[in-house]
Amino acid sequence: MPLPLYYFLAITAINILMSWALYLPYRVAHLHFLTVANMAISGYLSGWLVQGLGVSFWAALPLGFAAGGLIGWVISLFIGEAPTFTVVIVGFTFIYITRTVIENTKAVGATMGMFGLPLVAGSPALHRWTILALLYSLVLVVGFLIHRFEHSRLGRAASAVFVDKDLATSFGVDIAKLGRLLQVFSSTVAGGCGVIYGFLYRSFHLDFFTFHLVGLFMTIIFVGGYATMWGVVVAAPALYGLTLLFPPEVASWRIVIYGAILVAVLVLKPEGFVTRRLVLNLERLLSSQRKKIQ
Amino acid sequence: MEVLVAQVINGLSLGSIYVLLVTGFNLLLLAAMIIHFAYPQVVVFSMYIAWVVLRYTGNSVPLAVLAAVGASVAINLASAPLFQKIMKNREEVDINSTMVVSMGIGMIITDVLSHGFNKGLPISFPRQLVGDVALFRFGLISLLSGQAASLAVGVLAVSGVFLLLYKTRPGRAFRAIAEDPNGARLVGIPLLSTGLQSYALSGILGGLIAVLLALMLGYASPGLGEQVAHKVLAVSIIAGLGNLPGGLVVGLALGILEALAQGYLPGSWSNAIAFIVLLGVILVKPRGLFGLKL
Amino acid sequence: MAPSEVLLSVQDLAVSYGHINALSGVSLEVRRGEIVVLIGANGAGKSTLLATCLGINVPRAGSVTFRGKLISGLPADRNVRAGLCLAPEGRGVFAAMSVLDNLLLGAHHNLRNVDRNLKRVYEWFPLLQERKNQVTRTLSGGERQMLAIGRALMSSPELIMVDEPSLGLAPIVVNDIFQILVRLNREGYTILLSEQNAYKSLKCAHRGYVLETGKVTLSGTAQELLADPAVRAAYIGA
Repeated sequence: MPLPLYYFLAITAINILMSWALYLPYRVAHLHFLTVANMAISGYLSGWLVQGLGVSFWAALPLGFAAGGLIGWVISLFIGEAPTFTVVIVGFTFIYITRTVIENTKAVGATMGMFGLPLVAGSPALHRWTILALLYSLVLVVGFLIHRFEHSRLGRAASAVFVDKDLATSFGVDIAKLGRLLQVFSSTVAGGCGVIYGFLYRSFHLDFFTFHLVGLFMTIIFVGGYATMWGVVVAAPALYGLTLLFPPEVASWRIVIYGAILVAVLVLKPEGFVTRRLVLNLERLLSSQRKKIQ
Repeated sequence: MEVLVAQVINGLSLGSIYVLLVTGFNLLLLAAMIIHFAYPQVVVFSMYIAWVVLRYTGNSVPLAVLAAVGASVAINLASAPLFQKIMKNREEVDINSTMVVSMGIGMIITDVLSHGFNKGLPISFPRQLVGDVALFRFGLISLLSGQAASLAVGVLAVSGVFLLLYKTRPGRAFRAIAEDPNGARLVGIPLLSTGLQSYALSGILGGLIAVLLALMLGYASPGLGEQVAHKVLAVSIIAGLGNLPGGLVVGLALGILEALAQGYLPGSWSNAIAFIVLLGVILVKPRGLFGLKL
Repeated sequence: MAPSEVLLSVQDLAVSYGHINALSGVSLEVRRGEIVVLIGANGAGKSTLLATCLGINVPRAGSVTFRGKLISGLPADRNVRAGLCLAPEGRGVFAAMSVLDNLLLGAHHNLRNVDRNLKRVYEWFPLLQERKNQVTRTLSGGERQMLAIGRALMSSPELIMVDEPSLGLAPIVVNDIFQILVRLNREGYTILLSEQNAYKSLKCAHRGYVLETGKVTLSGTAQELLADPAVRAAYIGA
């Protein structure tokens, strides 16, 4: 498999997973940027375990998920029910603190980072196939879980919370529990992504986990459409592929381009490109086709 | 003891910058009904503009100040229609859309600074303007002219803003809208034009803050905006969104805390301490110390 | 009585909030020097009517004319400057701001005569002068109503609209407020007030209109309305 294609597929999968991780709490109006910190923490943790302690990747990966989930859970005890703004700031502050701690910790390479992480499979080619298989199985699993959630009673309750918290409470929705649940799920996914992200490049570096990442995921969600899970699926490859098509001088401005696209979409198409109505119409179309065949 | 006094002085000038930033942010929140996540980035952008003007006019300070203020006001007024367009309801703060849009604007500004100015390297302001001359020394306590200037201007600016808010006609209008937009309408206060006034006023404040920062720090970098932004936003949560006197207290407190940490701890840890304390307070009181306005 | 100039004229006014029709074809007029009362229960549309006259709502149909000029659709601050003002329901004063600040807000659009107006308001309401630096939250209900009226006076109005002045006030205080309104009227201010308390308000008014679910169902002089059996049954309980 040509290397560029590998990176495209792998990064796109990570982007889809992380954007989904951010999308889910946003159903209750929480922009859970803690997830980027989860990526960094679980990622570096796994790097240290594998490179420093000789633990196998296949043991470090679930630990990465668990670390993400644990941190997400502890923090959610405080902000499960907090206002949107607070959740954002908590996430950002955590990212800062995480970066500072990593910067100053020799054991994980401080500002130099970690390099030369071992392959997860026998040969480089097998390593790449394994990573891709792992990533896309995750995409399927997480996508399935989110889909089931949205079509469940809890998922519908979540969209009520987005519109009006007080109204939702009067319907009997336990906002705090719902908020915590979504945050824990999102942090868990992010933790695992952080681990795989590093092994994808076989290195960890602070530059991987910057606020640019936050901007990228936000652009994906809001451009794709924040009201349905399919927006992310469409926007992630599209936005990433877009910058690959540009000549290198333009491509280095990609954050400005993403920012401009984000602002433009918010003004012109506030719900994003894949709106709820579009999805509903497609579902109707597909079910009517199915009836025709039957 | 001497370190303590020296650092408290430092802390007061740093704190007055935070107070001004929080107040500009609150003005926009209260009178224009927006959450402007990227307000500090606009300020840093003005710093860069001032730097450019300094270079091209042979260090003319008045022109640089004018340019900084002009740039802030211009960006604010230019972004006003964007914000207005995406607000669903002019009388309530639409957190989700205005926050995300302003994050997008912040992304654009930060990245433009990274690419368009000085090849992304930090810029430094001419030494004679920064004021490294010690005005007096008393053991370890020395008051540099730059610090004195920034402290003086800071105190003047904060007093000026509060005087404006509490003793003038536009200030009364802002406070009235802040307390009860509907009631303000019934008294005949024009919400739209008063909102625009607040964009202009926070723009002027922004230019002043840019000058102060240049005096105090002597340098600017693309990442400065984000760092300061996150601290200022944390301050505004802790003080209570829209709480003007609260912002004064918490802003000064943070400045002093940071300065003390800088005095007694090495390197980047002072930043981390600030964030850890901020995070701690927010986690314990997600709705702010004095209660949430929103 | 010699016919006097019509200050405010409302013709077939219709106002809707989305699908809800708050007013469906209301017509009334207020002449200079009068006290006119709008009587109606909760939800009848009184506040909507006054707010629309001020310029807060844009009517779906019909017109509002003030001093001969069409003002429906014009923004509120224009109309305040032209001599129309409103003391809103629930007082509408800003509790976190001082008494003086509230009064000054009344003069927001007419700062030219601020000192003169302020002196006059203090003459009318000496207690407002005593408490001018106090935070409004510390004032009693009656004091706040006086503040609301005082604030309305600050804009040198010709026509003062008062929305439910007696709401939430003790009967003795209500008497005081109505006495103030009568005195103001004798000084030359024209007053349009909306009330649920039909008896007391009709006793000091010249004319009145009865508003029910967005329509005027009855109109006449104050005596006529006081004597009307339907009004007595519905609003006075006699």
